[in-house]
Amino acid sequence: MHFAGVDIGSTMTKVVLTDKAGNLLSFIKGPTGAEHRQLANEVMRQALEEAGLHIGDISYIVATGYGRLNVPFADCQITELSCHARGVSSLFPRARTAIDIGGQDAKCMKIDNGRLANFVMNDKCAAGTGRFLEVTASALGIRLEDMGDISLKAARKIPISNLCTIFAQQEVVALLSRGEKLENILAGLHDALASRVAALARRLGLEPDLVLTGGVAKNIGMVKAMKESLACEIFVPEEPLLTGALGAAILARETYMRAAAAGEALPTKSRRLEKATFFSQEHR
Amino acid sequence: MSDKNKGLNRAREIYLDSSRRARELRAAGKKVIGYPCAYVPLEMLTALDLVPYRTCADMKEPVTEADRALPHSFCPVMRNCLDCALKGRNDFLDGMVAIHSCDPQEKTARIWESYTHYPYFHFIDMPITVRPEALEYFKGQLDDFRKTLEAFTGRKLSADKLETAIRSHNRQRALVRELFELTKPSPPRISGTEIMQVVKALTGLPVAEGNDLLIETIDEVKKRTGRPESKPARLLIWSSTLDDTDVMQVFEARANVVMNESCGGIRAYKGEIKLTADPLEGLADYYLNEITCARTFRQAALGETKKDYARDLQSRFGYLKGIIRDWKVSGVVLLLVRYCDPFAFEMPSLKDYLNTIGVPNTYIEYDYTAGALAPMRTRVEAFIETISQR
Repeated sequence: MHFAGVDIGSTMTKVVLTDKAGNLLSFIKGPTGAEHRQLANEVMRQALEEAGLHIGDISYIVATGYGRLNVPFADCQITELSCHARGVSSLFPRARTAIDIGGQDAKCMKIDNGRLANFVMNDKCAAGTGRFLEVTASALGIRLEDMGDISLKAARKIPISNLCTIFAQQEVVALLSRGEKLENILAGLHDALASRVAALARRLGLEPDLVLTGGVAKNIGMVKAMKESLACEIFVPEEPLLTGALGAAILARETYMRAAAAGEALPTKSRRLEKATFFSQEHR
Repeated sequence: MSDKNKGLNRAREIYLDSSRRARELRAAGKKVIGYPCAYVPLEMLTALDLVPYRTCADMKEPVTEADRALPHSFCPVMRNCLDCALKGRNDFLDGMVAIHSCDPQEKTARIWESYTHYPYFHFIDMPITVRPEALEYFKGQLDDFRKTLEAFTGRKLSADKLETAIRSHNRQRALVRELFELTKPSPPRISGTEIMQVVKALTGLPVAEGNDLLIETIDEVKKRTGRPESKPARLLIWSSTLDDTDVMQVFEARANVVMNESCGGIRAYKGEIKLTADPLEGLADYYLNEITCARTFRQAALGETKKDYARDLQSRFGYLKGIIRDWKVSGVVLLLVRYCDPFAFEMPSLKDYLNTIGVPNTYIEYDYTAGALAPMRTRVEAFIETISQR
């Protein structure tokens, strides 16, 4: 008896497998990409291989993330908000607030009794998300993963007035040509993003402990900027990208166990690792 | 009961081609007058044998033409509405009645008038408060409206004719409320999507035909054996305009929408117009005082200046409490169309009110485009997950 959580985010696809007791067996992260969006089955196959399991060994599979409907072998879909909340509280039982900054969303979640109680999300534009950092990194000609470290060297922060990703990119280029130091610009950028997300979080009401997850939590400059903006301690899981998939796997196990205890039959999907097909492909 | 030309089937057909009946009637010699908002007293059009037609937006239509005339950061519903007009969708109209229900309506009306050339155009300057002076002023505005209608049709708008029209429209209001009674059981006997199609159809039909459609639909729904599936939440949606079934489907995929508190739902059909000696008196009173849209400013008590937040909330949002109780609403969605200032400014207080009476609620903003539906789906589903685990 094993369980799986599949989290298809806008940038990365994550799979977590657990055993009967909920212990982590394996996890895989891979880019979602344009083509990979159809390839949840590939990421799943790798995770199974690593754990030495077969798809038939998985009792229940929960899909989450914005691509949650593109996982043909998932038994049920649960939003990434519920999954992150569950995943975070399993790693940090004292967590009451979780902030997840991913590729296209920033979300703040209140956790009560280990579960999602309330949430707010950014509006649909890229301001306040990981894409903001991605776009500006490429405009500055540096690697995304180096941004945080470079920003820590800043002697001062250059305020970035524009939070629109496109306009911020122009502003950053203008600052560079004015001769401003890269690290100072980066410190300003992190600050701009952090203050935007902090404002979102304050709309929900902050309660400690606070956990930061998502790809952006891997950026040490962002963690520092968030601490300053929110004026509180921030916990970051070892694998901040995985909390959604982890929560999905935990919820898969809980759903399965609850049904088993009640003697109810739980409908499951075919255990074939099929590639997702989209409706739109019929018209191509 | 699956007659193609009756009840729910007919409503669905008119929903998909909302101006079809109006165009038919015009071809048969009737005059059709457009109106963009629930605040226009349709009774006055009906009394003069004019066909009212609500000019609507189309969420699937990308706005291009309206950009000639309106800024981008502007009510997307009105931008879209104007865009459809500029693309000729309302060219069959004989006239248009616009009203100052909110600023975007007023600004758009002026542009509409200058870019289109209907034989008749009238603008009603509607006051924004419910004070007695405002009521007097509004009555005067309706009297002006009467004069231009009389000049356009060459007919007198008699008190008798107006009273008959008021009775027909009151009957329509009662029938729509009866339709919403059918969402009270669990599971509801009719879905939010079906009701939306009926309500949208009403805005494209003469009142008598609309009433027939309602009677057929109510009868059909009461007799049918099928009904919507029971879902883990019973939602009330509070919005300015909710008139697209694709948006409704985002909610109804996971919940039963039992009350649509918007312009595509019950808003224009609450209460009834009193028959007063001067019928304009009853009309003015109803449209100014009875319709609960965020565009109208309501004080806790007349002339009250001291702060009493609880009473203020009660007078602004108290009408929701009974609905939430009677329809056993388990969650309220505050669905905001971006840049809709009147509704946006109500949000914090309305959230306070709902929290005070203990109803789970969430706030979702979208920009009235089809692209907004995927992020909306995530928010809606997450909200339903939080309320159905309780």
